[in-house]
Amino acid sequence: MTATWGLACSRCGRAGLEERALSDRGRVVAFTVLNVPGEEFLNEAPYAYVVVELEGGGRVTGWMPTVRSEADLSIGEAVRFVPGYKPGVQFVKREASETT
Amino acid sequence: MRETWVVGAASNRYGKMTETAREAATRVALEAIRDAGLEPKQIGHTFVANCFGLAEHQAHVGPLINNGLGIPEVPSVTLESACSSSSAALHEAFVHVAGGFADAALVVGAERLGHLDTLAATSYFAIAADYAFETKNGATFPGLYATLASAYRDVYKTTPEMLGSIAIKNHANAARNPHAHFQKEISMETYLASPLIASPLRLYDCCPFSDGAAALVVAAKEAMPRPTNEPLVVRASARAGAVTDMQDRPDLLGLPSTRAAAAAAFRQARMTPKEIDFLEVHDCFTIAEVLALEDLGFFPKGTAAKESADGVTARDGRLPVNPSGGLKAKGHPVSATGAGQVVEVFEQVNGRAPGREVPRSGTALTHNVGATGGSCSVHIFSRR
Ligand SMILES: CC(C)(COP(=O)(O)OP(=O)(O)OC[C@H]1O[C@@H](n2cnc3c(N)ncnc32)[C@H](O)[C@@H]1OP(=O)(O)O)[C@@H](O)C(=O)NCCC(=O)NCCS
Repeated sequence: MTATWGLACSRCGRAGLEERALSDRGRVVAFTVLNVPGEEFLNEAPYAYVVVELEGGGRVTGWMPTVRSEADLSIGEAVRFVPGYKPGVQFVKREASETT
Repeated sequence: MRETWVVGAASNRYGKMTETAREAATRVALEAIRDAGLEPKQIGHTFVANCFGLAEHQAHVGPLINNGLGIPEVPSVTLESACSSSSAALHEAFVHVAGGFADAALVVGAERLGHLDTLAATSYFAIAADYAFETKNGATFPGLYATLASAYRDVYKTTPEMLGSIAIKNHANAARNPHAHFQKEISMETYLASPLIASPLRLYDCCPFSDGAAALVVAAKEAMPRPTNEPLVVRASARAGAVTDMQDRPDLLGLPSTRAAAAAAFRQARMTPKEIDFLEVHDCFTIAEVLALEDLGFFPKGTAAKESADGVTARDGRLPVNPSGGLKAKGHPVSATGAGQVVEVFEQVNGRAPGREVPRSGTALTHNVGATGGSCSVHIFSRR
């Protein structure tokens, strides 16, 4: 899938962006667990909304259906992208065994 | 540029309106014009904010308001800048009047969402985030500010009691404001016992869904030889933008658009934060008041929550913040909010805020944010 959300860099203004594959692994830099959702997540609450710093660079925003309360996740925790059943970017916690 | 004043102001009581936003807007507009000692036909241009008018099946509301005021021939335009829509309207009015394109301009903001339930209102608001990247991943506005709160807490170790002190202070101020949605005080116990909406933010960290309307009349000094009120001299009217998305921000510890708008405003006014007597800031969530006070330059990064807990920002503190009760407790009728902040400054300066008067009101700053900082307005006012 390709989509054009921006035509220049929002930090330096330079045009001519190129496509890059991103890692599917990263660490949580900020998150919240939502108890009051909007319509599209009505059946998902509670869930976590996360900002993830990917290995090798780049940040993405995503969500985690299996995180049900603040105690289930911490900043710095390792997560992995999984293809989800909704259009958003879905993450799960990485097991200790897969943390390489 | 001509010296430009705010010469009249009016607001209804925020909360639940039985009339439409358009009716409320027309009503407060006429009140503000009369308050200025003017007649509607003296208005040269109307600037309207009604971000969520579509929730009432109504767009292009400016001409309808002007019709209702008996001035259908006067030009109008509706501005959308999310929660900063009516401060954006004030900025346009300032530009027109200061630039000589109008002697007097009307600014009116109104919003009605109270007929929607929590789910529908939450969903409407979420449209003002980045729909493709944030909303599609489950973000809501409480959720986005909660994400900022989590990043901030991780670095600066804010406690629930620090954020709670802001909610308690703003509720105490709103209890003395007849325009306020919530005219009741709350205790730390009530705050701590309130449910988590989006961790770490609780019910009492959040502004409510409010209906409301507020209007201002902006006029050139030279067109107002005998003002009926003590005018607010507009010393600065500045706006800035910034990256909105959480994943694209250089850091999650503040709002860059606040920093930029504040820098521009202090430059315009040739003033420093030390010269400001009191503030109305955009506290849609308690964490937003913390970020605002730091990004505006009143406190070093990482210290505003503690200063608030120590009472520095109370009505009788060294730097009163949100004597109106703020968005938290006065309420947040999105498109009325920015104009409503200036109504509070006007009432403080004109002795119309009995019971919640700040000790000094020679200068004031208002700060109004669009969404999570994609837009920001900062205005600075002083007495003549
Ligand atoms: C926090 C929030 C979800 C609570 O809404 P809610 O769950 O629908 O709450 P209800 O309407 O069921 O109200 C329950 C009670 O809490 C009160 N209440 C609701 N919101 C409140 C708030 N933010 N602060 C204090 N009290 C609140 C209600 O008055 C009601 O009191 P009552 O039982 O005495 O009548 C909602 O107010 C919200 O989303 N606020 C944020 C709005 C927003 O995002 N604005 C844009 C900012 S950029």
